[in-house]
Amino acid sequence: MLNDIKILIGDDSILARKQLKDIISMSGSPIFFDASNGQEAIDIYKKEHPDLVFLDIVMPVKDGNAAIREIIEFDKDADIIIVSSVGTQSQLKAAIETGARDFIQKPLNADQVRHIITSRFEGR
Amino acid sequence: MYAQFFGNYLLSQEAVTKDQLIQALQKMSSTQIKLGTLAIHAGYMTASEVDRIIIEQTRQNRRFGELAVSEGYLTEAQATELLKSQQPDFLLLGQALIEDGILSNQQLQDLIIDYQSMNELDEGSYSDETMDSINRMVENFFVVAERPLSSYEVSFFQLLLNNLLRFIGDDFTPVSPSQVREYPTNYCVSQRIDGDFSIRVYLDMPEDVGIEFASRYVGDTFTEFDEYVQSSLEDFLNLHNGLFNVNISNESSVELALEPPQVETEDLLTFDTETFLLPIVFSFGTVYLLFEIYQSND
Repeated sequence: MLNDIKILIGDDSILARKQLKDIISMSGSPIFFDASNGQEAIDIYKKEHPDLVFLDIVMPVKDGNAAIREIIEFDKDADIIIVSSVGTQSQLKAAIETGARDFIQKPLNADQVRHIITSRFEGR
Repeated sequence: MYAQFFGNYLLSQEAVTKDQLIQALQKMSSTQIKLGTLAIHAGYMTASEVDRIIIEQTRQNRRFGELAVSEGYLTEAQATELLKSQQPDFLLLGQALIEDGILSNQQLQDLIIDYQSMNELDEGSYSDETMDSINRMVENFFVVAERPLSSYEVSFFQLLLNNLLRFIGDDFTPVSPSQVREYPTNYCVSQRIDGDFSIRVYLDMPEDVGIEFASRYVGDTFTEFDEYVQSSLEDFLNLHNGLFNVNISNESSVELALEPPQVETEDLLTFDTETFLLPIVFSFGTVYLLFEIYQSND
């Protein structure tokens, strides 16, 4: 599963990116792209058009919410999931309003990540 | 949480040294609580009665409970109740210190009585660590602040200790905090929270301690101080501060802002505002937390 699927992970923590990739890789072998801040995530999105994006909110240079706005402006169908330790109601609301499709509260729950992957790409 | 604070109490009373405490923390997970320790804590037996039974056990090959009942120190019902009841975790730490020969039963009994009365603990507190009792311990612990802690601070410190328990392990003791104007760093990361409660939190530790801290946090075995280990320390800080923001938002509808964590590159940090240093002694080494408080009004 997940062959030729492109997944972009935007998080300033190399550990968080690795943990997410390890969980996703249990379901298949997609093509991963790493971004360590919001601006990098925007730049990579515009170049690679990934099928799915995981974004942290608190990031240097440009935060996750600003990155969502720019990505959605570029591609209104972008499939973006927020992964953050700051899952307050207002953060959640802001993320959904700017165009995120889902929100994962850290620490990562592997089942939640797998559900997101299988609900989108099962059979691909 | 009582075991963690009890360790600090023992240090502050100079009942144990830091090395002795570390050894007992390492031993705690494999220590079995003994009926005699439970009987003292429940007030059914005195330390000297327990000692008498232990000496008697060297002459007769009989179980502690059996002997204590036959000597009339315990009833059958009390012995059964002790074995079944949920016991405070700090007794395990005490037990480990007794087994290491650091404390006698009598010394442990006296220390426990003082500790309980200082923190207004009673039997009911143990099975259910209430917010009130933990908050009180946090407040007693931060006497160095020389002012009442704000509710933000109490929530913050309580959550931090809980997150250390949850993500790193229970074999630690927080050492009484002190106020500092400067601090020489090991490997240090920090993160700032802004809003009604403004604070910069630093997490600092030597590299070898960092490797073990990260291994426990990630659930992996790291062998060198690489970028994943470094990232783990930032990640722990970020996770704790993020969860704190969520709690504050849920409890008080107050939104705080979080900056990304950063690595401190200076060898010596200096502080212009009220800053607390909180060493946390784990069985694998000491982790240092600093709290530079900019604003902390309720």
